[in-house]
Amino acid sequence: MIPLLMGITFITFSLTKALPGDPVFSIVGERSSPEIIEKIRTEIGADKSVIRQYAGYVTLLLQGELGRSYYTNRKVVDEVGLKFPNTLLLAFAALVIAAPFGVLFGFIAALYKGRAADKILTMLSVSGVSMPVFWSGLLLMLLFSLRLKVLPPSGTGGLQYLVLPAITLSLPALATLIRVTRITVLDLMDMQFIRTARAKGLTETAINSIHIMKNALIPVITVIGLEFGSYLNGAVLTETIFGWDGIGRYAMEGIIKRDYPVIMGCLLIGTIVFVLMNLIVDIVYHYVDPRVRLHGTDR
Amino acid sequence: MLGLANRAEIRFILLTISLLLPLCLLACSSNDRIAGYVHYRINYNPTTLDPALIVDVTGGLIAAKLFNGLVRLDETLKVIPDIAESWDISQDGTTYTFHLRRDVRFSNSRMMSAADVKYSFERILDPRGKSPNTWILEKISGAKAFMKGEDSEVSGIKISDPYTIQLILEKPFSPFLNLLTMTAAYVVPQEEVQRWGEDFASHPVGSGPFRLMEWKHNNHLLLDRNEHYFGGVAMSTGLRYRIIPEDITAITEFELGNLDIISVPASEYRRIMKADAGKNLVSSMEGINTYYLGFNCSRPPFEDIMARKAVSFAIDRKRILETFYENRGSLAHGPIPDILRRWDAPVLPDYDPAYARQLVEAAGLKGKKIQLYITADPEVVDIAEIIQFYLRNAGLSVMIKQLEWSSYKAAINNGEADMFWISWWADYPDPENFLFPLFHSSNHGPSGNRTRYTNKAVDALIEAGQKSSTKKERDHYYRLAEKAIVEDVPWVFFWHKTDITVRQSTLRNYRIYPIYSLDKGLEVSF
Repeated sequence: MIPLLMGITFITFSLTKALPGDPVFSIVGERSSPEIIEKIRTEIGADKSVIRQYAGYVTLLLQGELGRSYYTNRKVVDEVGLKFPNTLLLAFAALVIAAPFGVLFGFIAALYKGRAADKILTMLSVSGVSMPVFWSGLLLMLLFSLRLKVLPPSGTGGLQYLVLPAITLSLPALATLIRVTRITVLDLMDMQFIRTARAKGLTETAINSIHIMKNALIPVITVIGLEFGSYLNGAVLTETIFGWDGIGRYAMEGIIKRDYPVIMGCLLIGTIVFVLMNLIVDIVYHYVDPRVRLHGTDR
Repeated sequence: MLGLANRAEIRFILLTISLLLPLCLLACSSNDRIAGYVHYRINYNPTTLDPALIVDVTGGLIAAKLFNGLVRLDETLKVIPDIAESWDISQDGTTYTFHLRRDVRFSNSRMMSAADVKYSFERILDPRGKSPNTWILEKISGAKAFMKGEDSEVSGIKISDPYTIQLILEKPFSPFLNLLTMTAAYVVPQEEVQRWGEDFASHPVGSGPFRLMEWKHNNHLLLDRNEHYFGGVAMSTGLRYRIIPEDITAITEFELGNLDIISVPASEYRRIMKADAGKNLVSSMEGINTYYLGFNCSRPPFEDIMARKAVSFAIDRKRILETFYENRGSLAHGPIPDILRRWDAPVLPDYDPAYARQLVEAAGLKGKKIQLYITADPEVVDIAEIIQFYLRNAGLSVMIKQLEWSSYKAAINNGEADMFWISWWADYPDPENFLFPLFHSSNHGPSGNRTRYTNKAVDALIEAGQKSSTKKERDHYYRLAEKAIVEDVPWVFFWHKTDITVRQSTLRNYRIYPIYSLDKGLEVSF
């Protein structure tokens, strides 16, 4: 993990330096003298060589710091600490919606393959995958906020603020999960061991809930893990539309203003989260799928 | 092993969710207001509320509610007393003596005195500080030496008694009082600045009509009225600024009554104007800004005035304003907005495509590729394409180069573009602010003169205007300078954008101001 992180800091640092644009021009505003520009450049260390800047950054990281934003002067660590819980909450809520419903609907679609339920669910999942969040989010806002007046359209805070962004964010994942679950379950139904189970005289309920469901979980967990990992890196569009104060909006504002400490901080945190998510998914595999156990008892 | 749900369990889960969801929906409502507070929308989280560091509009408009300067502007853009109840200007125009009010109290309860003014001004100029706004005060004598660290205080700031302060300028500068109305010249209490250090930016303490009570970043700012404000207590309990980046979300919040005032986004302009018929809830005010197409006057092809003229004759600005821009602005007659101009406007030539084609031929520009730099703003992209169309008709081939904001700014500051689309917004309402930074040859690049326009005669006229002591004399020089500039065509002068807002019918005493910093938020209420 440590070499990976070192690599990541190096790559992200080089990438931000390779970006066109100069943060100094945004810091000084519309009117400034060359002396002030030079002074600010010295202040943020942009006058030093790139290698020295990188060394400085790594030293900072080793002290557990991510630097201060060029514009707001606030510590990136503190800001991330404020925004990450919001992002986590939103990601978790979206997952709570997407995972059970996605699996359930996918399962139903597979069981009723070719029938009306399957067709409707397939249609819904195709539209779910294809609808961009900036469209579905606005439709939800129109319906629940403007027409029904039950949910506030924007803000960060209690449960009522969470519902709309969470549903919006969950839709693409929900749709993907329906499709993945459906395909997997259909594949499994033709497998030998299912036929064996049926021949053994097991009830359909038992076959579906134990034999098929359990085996269908592996690809589903992969999808959930990946989606969750990407949610944790912030959902820029969803957060912007619903005014949710998450890490995605923070990173985006940093990128627009070339606020390097913010960009670097977000990238770094994002990478760590992603790596951790993959690790968690691997661990879950270990429990769900005996084949990937390293020291399994039934080897 | 993970326990796997059987059908009965799934049914149970489904049932629970389907019961919980409507419950939550019933318990919630779309209402999001704090009673007694006037609700505004801002697009972005203000970067800082430290007057020394503010360069953005959002920061400036909130700082205006929290702080005061020596002087401020009224609705007619006249300089009026604020902390200073009166002032005298010496005959030679270099010494300004301000007599301060004795009842000004910071919101931490300490009384303000002349020492606070001196401290605040020196803080801007401090060589160890990082204020980008030094230009506002560097005209004071001794400021430059202080900024270089050669002097321990600014010699031109003199306190004669606790309520009298003198500012001595290096040389006369007629718009100096206007400079003092700006955000960077607000007075801050030393003890609070020292207590918070760098974090004063998020814990501002001033003497203004409001105090910052809460700042939830990227969410909202809550300002409560200051019960001891020397200018009278605000009519509303407080102000709430919601940070809503998306226009369409802001419109939804407004329609739900969660916002009291919003500025009308271009995409909603027609609908809102139609809905407003007879209700009179839309306000508009010609903004103190100028939108223009700038030429790079320092290199071919546009160092040739004929080439610049060709472009200016080729574009039908009036038509673009009336059709595409839906008249959300007024046609420019020169760089200076009409509300600041106290003399007859220069006459700009009309659209003349045939003459434009002749000029293109004569300047040898036919078929030449010209780069037009723009930002990624969708409205600007449309305008650039319209310009491209007009210039194609004149025989010019324009390549639009779209850059994201900070790269764009770097490119035009460095003079990479042949042409660029940009606007200039007044720092202070004086014609000088539309002449000196934009056209004086000492300001090439980031200081404002991005066209790299150079005309010694214009430089001399602007300087003469800055030194004049009477309005009449000043206007005389500015008029001549503007005339010369318009004749040289360094820009295609497009329009002055109008600010348009819409408010709820419950709101009383609302008025729209030509500059954001004028609004102290005192009158508006329910």
